[in-house]
Amino acid sequence: MKRYALAALIIVLSLLVLLPFLWIFSTSLKPLSEVNQYPPEWFSPNMSLKPYADMFFFMPFGIYALNSTIVASSATIITLFVGSLGAFAFSRFQFAGKRVFLLVFLLSQMLPGASVIIPLFQLLKEIGLYDTHVGLILVHSAVLLPFVIWLLYGFFQGIPREVEDAALIDGCSRLSALRRVILPLALPGIGATALFAFLGSWNEFFFALILTSSDATKTIPVGIGLFVGEYNDLWNQMAASAVLFSLPPLMLFALMRKTFVKGLAAGAVK
Amino acid sequence: MKKATPYLLLLPALLFTAFVLGYPLVQNLVNSVRDVSLVSGVGGWVGLSNYANVLDDPLFLSSLRNTLIYALVGTILALVIGLGFALLLNMKIGRITTIASFLYTIPWVISPVVAGFSWKWLLNDHFGIINYWLSSAELIDAGTSWLGDPQTVLACVIFARVWQFYPFAMVMFLAGLQAIPLEQYEAAAVDGATMFRRFFHITIPNLKPVFSVLLVLGVIWSFNDFNIVFVMTRGGPMNASMVLPVLVREFSFVFFDLGKGSALSVMTFMLLVTLSFLYLRIISGRESA
Repeated sequence: MKRYALAALIIVLSLLVLLPFLWIFSTSLKPLSEVNQYPPEWFSPNMSLKPYADMFFFMPFGIYALNSTIVASSATIITLFVGSLGAFAFSRFQFAGKRVFLLVFLLSQMLPGASVIIPLFQLLKEIGLYDTHVGLILVHSAVLLPFVIWLLYGFFQGIPREVEDAALIDGCSRLSALRRVILPLALPGIGATALFAFLGSWNEFFFALILTSSDATKTIPVGIGLFVGEYNDLWNQMAASAVLFSLPPLMLFALMRKTFVKGLAAGAVK
Repeated sequence: MKKATPYLLLLPALLFTAFVLGYPLVQNLVNSVRDVSLVSGVGGWVGLSNYANVLDDPLFLSSLRNTLIYALVGTILALVIGLGFALLLNMKIGRITTIASFLYTIPWVISPVVAGFSWKWLLNDHFGIINYWLSSAELIDAGTSWLGDPQTVLACVIFARVWQFYPFAMVMFLAGLQAIPLEQYEAAAVDGATMFRRFFHITIPNLKPVFSVLLVLGVIWSFNDFNIVFVMTRGGPMNASMVLPVLVREFSFVFFDLGKGSALSVMTFMLLVTLSFLYLRIISGRESA
């Protein structure tokens, strides 16, 4: 009996938690006349995918999606590469200043975006990277890096030293031990970290908002964020863009939830 | 040469960090004592007058107050809800908990922009489902404008923030719960401890380290959070929900006064550094323990 009560509670809570999405999803399928209707209804016979087609008229969603994909994938690759070198140094070497460096990375994770945005904006303008993919990719990579190092450090620590020592005895160099032994063993962890980095960049709004200005570089969250301010009454089209934008993170997360949660916990609870 | 290896490995990461942390922080200090405008460019040195301008602006104190409330209240609520959900999921009553632990994490996986937008629409005064329900139940008048009323707007953005942040707390608490040795509960059960006593004498003390990390991280992240407020209200109405990160953008990119914006962001950073030291103390306290 208690089991059923708990199950019921879990289901009710799921509905409550997902209420905003369910409502957005319902809105995204309704014609505008029914969106602006009182009392509001969850379902309507006139539901269709039309808002998904119409929204392209107000927002070049395809271009934004391409920009988001370019920026998020590049930032993921860069942070994983740079981050795994750094995490390898932290987990396998003793060196002077190690603690200080770890602190620097820990601290930069708490960096207020607002405290660096103005100089970054000026710098990117000066070197011609303002409003470019490359500029945003570099900034996203740098912002994501501390947490990526932290996560990877946790995973590398979890790989027994003996495995690596065996590789060294067999004649591997330190770096080829990283490439041939540690990286393959840490693969699930690296997958989780890649997911984190991708989501972080894909969803990032503040830097993207201020460091881009033209449609050729704006990412989806910038498009939606500005759209929400400007076309306040086209709720069904805004909802449609929000749904489309949320699909890739949801699918990735559904695929990799287990490793991701495990990695996060390993990195933080330790 | 061997000695250089770890430094070489760290070099790229350090370059990135210098680019996004080191250089901007120094440049920010320089900006804050100069007259820098987005329109007329870099002017002369003005000493501390940018700081004085910020302090003289009544918006500063009210935004600081809003930011602190947003960060503290939002984080504490998110931790309480996260803990409740973690306890529920930890009961492991079959497949449903696996599915639920996925569903409960969703608000954290999607973009804060979508989160802000969803709540804005949900709370819409005329067509939002929440107003419809509450007014049908005759709890409020139809057309109550939650986001348009300076009295309620801050509570609304905090609510959205809690919704977006609690899953992180939940995941961490769940990991913490699963790390508690079962023997402790078994011993307590043998001694005849009630469920209530077991919760307060075993569960809570074991979760304390997770709790303190979450509290500090949550406060810092919320303190820095720009997204929810910007998307839902842009700080309005009448600046009733203005928070510091949004105000920095306002000074700098709406009023084009980069000097004043820089001064405000230096002050924000100082506050954050204080909070971060608190965090480090907790972290290092755990390492030496």
